[in-house]
Amino acid sequence: MPAQTNCPLPAGFQLDQYRIERQLSLGGFSIVYLAHDREGSPVAIKEYLPNSLALRKEGEFEPQVSDEHMPAFRYGMKCFFEEGRSLAKLMHPNVVQVLNFFRANGTVYMVMKFERGRTLHDYIQKHRGEVSERFIRIVFTRMLNGLREVHAHKLLHLDIKPSNIYLRNDGTPVLLDFGAARQTLMSDQPILKPMYTPGFASPEQFEHRDALGPWSDIYSVGASLHACITGNAPQRSDERVKDDTVVPLRRTHAAHYSAQLLDTIDWCLKLDPLARPQSVYSLQKSLIRRDEDGDAVHAGLFGDLGARLKSFIGRT
Amino acid sequence: MKFTIYQESRIGQRKNNQDRLAYSYSRDALLMVVADGMGGHLHGEVAAHICVQFVTEAFQRDARPMLRDPSLFLSRVLTNAHNAILDYAFDKNLDEAPRTTVVACIVQDGFAYWAHAGDSRLYVVRQGQIAMHTRDHSRVQLMMDQGLLNAEEAAHHPGRNRVYSCLGGNHAPQVEFSKRLPLRDGDVLALCTDGVWGPLGDAALTAALSAPDIMQAVPALLDRAEGIAGPSCDNLSMIAMRWHDDATQPHADAISTRTMALDNFTTQLESFDTSRTPASRYDISDDDIEKAIAEINAAIHKFSK
Repeated sequence: MPAQTNCPLPAGFQLDQYRIERQLSLGGFSIVYLAHDREGSPVAIKEYLPNSLALRKEGEFEPQVSDEHMPAFRYGMKCFFEEGRSLAKLMHPNVVQVLNFFRANGTVYMVMKFERGRTLHDYIQKHRGEVSERFIRIVFTRMLNGLREVHAHKLLHLDIKPSNIYLRNDGTPVLLDFGAARQTLMSDQPILKPMYTPGFASPEQFEHRDALGPWSDIYSVGASLHACITGNAPQRSDERVKDDTVVPLRRTHAAHYSAQLLDTIDWCLKLDPLARPQSVYSLQKSLIRRDEDGDAVHAGLFGDLGARLKSFIGRT
Repeated sequence: MKFTIYQESRIGQRKNNQDRLAYSYSRDALLMVVADGMGGHLHGEVAAHICVQFVTEAFQRDARPMLRDPSLFLSRVLTNAHNAILDYAFDKNLDEAPRTTVVACIVQDGFAYWAHAGDSRLYVVRQGQIAMHTRDHSRVQLMMDQGLLNAEEAAHHPGRNRVYSCLGGNHAPQVEFSKRLPLRDGDVLALCTDGVWGPLGDAALTAALSAPDIMQAVPALLDRAEGIAGPSCDNLSMIAMRWHDDATQPHADAISTRTMALDNFTTQLESFDTSRTPASRYDISDDDIEKAIAEINAAIHKFSK
């Protein structure tokens, strides 16, 4: 099938109660826009628009879906709902917040809180080779608070990677983009191909999908940590299973990072799911501890107590 | 919840039945709804059908297993049902939107809440007495309130079928809402169309609904109404529900919802035309999409507060 590009909605387009400002990103399944609500507050709107199934031509609003592709298009919509359902249940300062969900232009839209900042991916590109250990420990410990909340709701993220970890301007991380990988959970619709990013996905995501668990997200966290240190994802795990060329970071980067941190990353990147940290909590404990010189990350980060307290108060 | 429930609709001496009725319950909430499509207007049964179906579906979407606010639910759903009827008329290019009366009741947490527009009624029978009933939105009821008519004259007044509030039609409905009523063991809630209460009168209704077994009492009551009305018998429909304390040993036909799954519903929709849209060949229908979106927004609402 020839690759087709979907045209984004034009700037100024009135979408339900929101006015589109510009496109933020374009993925295989969706387009994300920056928009403003009635009060003028910025929001991020994700539009369900799978490239392979729906085509929006220049100057049109409603994408065209052929009869042949309609069942798959509707099916993918179901997956998009899954993402919305998952996120709607999560209320955590380190997880992106969903504000609204609606139907328009023959497709569906998810409105999320717009956060100012940049992705960890951008940060890594800018600070190649000089991402500090302190930064890594602080960002990941906090991000994992969000992931812990995800797992506590019996959900898996399955697409953790630096471009899905967003750093607010105040430095706190937010976990983005749920559901891209969930689409792969249901594999009887061949047109909707898995959307994970190879270098960050665990081996069980390629092969033994019934073995998926928190440890699968932990592999992706390990790969993201790896990217912070080397600038790149490790070798794809499906290739590693056949011929593992990944050298433990302990051997290559000991000059700049503590052995304890490098060991922790290598631990997360074990091919055997059972050999990795089994819970986010145990990984967090390891990220907080720094054996050699006892310079522990401030323990308050662990629970983000202030933020939790705030959200607790807000809820009552 | 424990209750005994019975519903029946009869065509009477008319050519078609324009009454529609349904009940539906989850583990923790019960819905009953009766609509009487207005015969003087085109497609009365369509309006009644849209109304009952719409209300029932909304209930199944929202009562999982409880409604957040039963009064708000009734207000929202009846307004939306009215709009759904108008939409239908618009789609079909009808000159005038079809009309229907409606009376709908929710029972939840041991309280009953109801709302109505038109002259379909809800009665609360407690210890052999009518403890409460809805007041018709009809011209004769207004005249009675002003002392211009007594009950006897009203029953034979030529304009007794005129109602000033209904769903559909050119005017927004004036829906009247009850206060919430705490239910007591043995209370009977009965929803019915004018084909039932018209011929019978309050005394006969009360006597029948006070009988220990509504499963037998209601059909007998309908027989009697048909007999009295004779050849001019209108469509007649009734849902009657007897409430049981959790502690009592109820009638064998009583339903206990205690063991129902949280997302399970039991629904009886009395429908005379089963031709619904054929099962979509798509995995997910428009309806499923609406449901999913409603569900997600409910979750957003719930967790962000």
